[in-house]
Amino acid sequence: MKRIADIPGFPPLMACIGLLVFWDLVARYLAISGLPPAWDALKEVPVILADPEQLLNILSSIRRMVIGFFAALVFAIPVGLLMGRSRAVAAFFNPLLMTIYPVPKAALMPIIMLWLGVGDVSKILVIFLGVSLPVIYHSYQGARAVEQKMLWSAAAMGMGAPARLLRIVLPAALPEIMVGCRTGLVLALITMVTSEMIARQSGVGNILFNSLDLAQYGLVYATILIIGVMGFVLDVLFEKLREAVAGWAQPVHQIAVGSA
Amino acid sequence: MKHVSLALAAASVLLAIDSAQAQETIRVGWTIPAEESKYWMMRRPQEFPDLGKKYKIEWSQFQGTSPMAQALAAGALDCATQGVLPIGQGMVNNSYQVYVVAQHVGERPGSFSVYWAVKDDSPIKTVADLKGKTVGISVIGGGTQGPFDLMLKKNGVDPSKDIKLVEVGFSLSEDALRSGRVDAVNMNQPFAARAEAKGGVRKLFALSEAVPNIVHIVEACRKDFVDKNPELVKAYVRDLTLGMKKATSNRAETLKVVNEVLKAPVEVLDTYLLKPNDFAREPGAAPNFAGIQAMFDTYAETGLLGKKLDASTLKHPTIVAPME
Repeated sequence: MKRIADIPGFPPLMACIGLLVFWDLVARYLAISGLPPAWDALKEVPVILADPEQLLNILSSIRRMVIGFFAALVFAIPVGLLMGRSRAVAAFFNPLLMTIYPVPKAALMPIIMLWLGVGDVSKILVIFLGVSLPVIYHSYQGARAVEQKMLWSAAAMGMGAPARLLRIVLPAALPEIMVGCRTGLVLALITMVTSEMIARQSGVGNILFNSLDLAQYGLVYATILIIGVMGFVLDVLFEKLREAVAGWAQPVHQIAVGSA
Repeated sequence: MKHVSLALAAASVLLAIDSAQAQETIRVGWTIPAEESKYWMMRRPQEFPDLGKKYKIEWSQFQGTSPMAQALAAGALDCATQGVLPIGQGMVNNSYQVYVVAQHVGERPGSFSVYWAVKDDSPIKTVADLKGKTVGISVIGGGTQGPFDLMLKKNGVDPSKDIKLVEVGFSLSEDALRSGRVDAVNMNQPFAARAEAKGGVRKLFALSEAVPNIVHIVEACRKDFVDKNPELVKAYVRDLTLGMKKATSNRAETLKVVNEVLKAPVEVLDTYLLKPNDFAREPGAAPNFAGIQAMFDTYAETGLLGKKLDASTLKHPTIVAPME
């Protein structure tokens, strides 16, 4: 007989409901305007989603996130793979990355804004930086773990260095790269929001930060819920993609959020 | 050779068109709340004959006036909403030079004035009673601190030693006061109206008691931009003037416009917007240069500005609201 916990999606659903109930009870007990009950926030979700202007704001943020995310993948995966297979490349990039890694990317926003203006480019750059580093790191680790004997065998059979990187290192490192991409996806979502904190023309920040400024806390929490659900859905979709392209390997790290 | 010449000619034409288009667009920074003339321009552009036809505006929303000062200094914006203090700091540091071309909101006798509130049952009855207490302010080192420091000094309280000053954003003021995290806190609209309606808090003192006719936010444009594009800025200032007229003459529509921008319910806005308990709007958005001068003097006196400044240098000879 199938246990109730084995039903796909049931445990995360229960966790979400439990969290919402706990939030609602605590908010009603504390009765402070800065923490509305969960039900009040949930009631605002359809209000946001039914407003075409707010939908355009959300789509505008997603557009920047997608551009920043894929631009980061195009840059970070080759760099990570090269670092994993070349000591010289690793020696060049490692100190640079170790210096940039701990810097909160949103903190760079005011400086980037001064260089690139207040438009989309500066926001996309912040997302790009946020996503690039974990993808580089995981691609690097994946490339380093490739067995040297396989590469020697390929070289002995006449395969050139670029072909070895593309046909041996890349597929072998794919499970680890996917972990980096998954982390990058979450960071893309975070930096998507934080990049709009200072200046924006359109975006989810219009809903979130304006509501915060005006103490419209129901809208603030509703927006946070929408962003949270977006993260959940993206994670589930990404897990499906991972299964499709690297299903032959078990996930290197069990960090499943949306996977049931 | 003929092809190269043709290509060069085409490129020159394209560059000229691009340059002309660039000149027609003005990059403007804005924030919330209290910029009704801009909100009208954003939401009812059809009411402004030149907007979108003779010139365009590229709007960018900012989280407060300080980042807009940075953006102006970096040349990322041409015009933006500014407080008097950042303008003064820009003049002292020589980081950016602006003309004040219009005014959004300020104070005048009888209008709303930012005030510090305490709980009804608080033992704090006078400004002198603030000694040893925790006091909230929206931004430490921000525009309201000069008049606040002056008020404390007038009443024998040293703002740097006698109180514990903490930063509490306007939206969190009421909660901070009621929960006892602060003993006194500054209040602004619409939060003041909401707190007053709920009761249990009382006004201790208002900024107008320290400095009358305070200027809160103005429209500032980079001097180099104005000097280079006078006609473009004139068109913009004409529309700011028109926007202010529309905002103040048609309150019902202004409530709708502000609701569209702020997403705050009309019922909330209706408690204060363009009522006697709101800030003052100057007719035709005319900047109050005497008020700006008084604030420069206050900031210099309280140490927020390193030297005395002359507000008349902010006035362009011809490009200033009201402009018809």
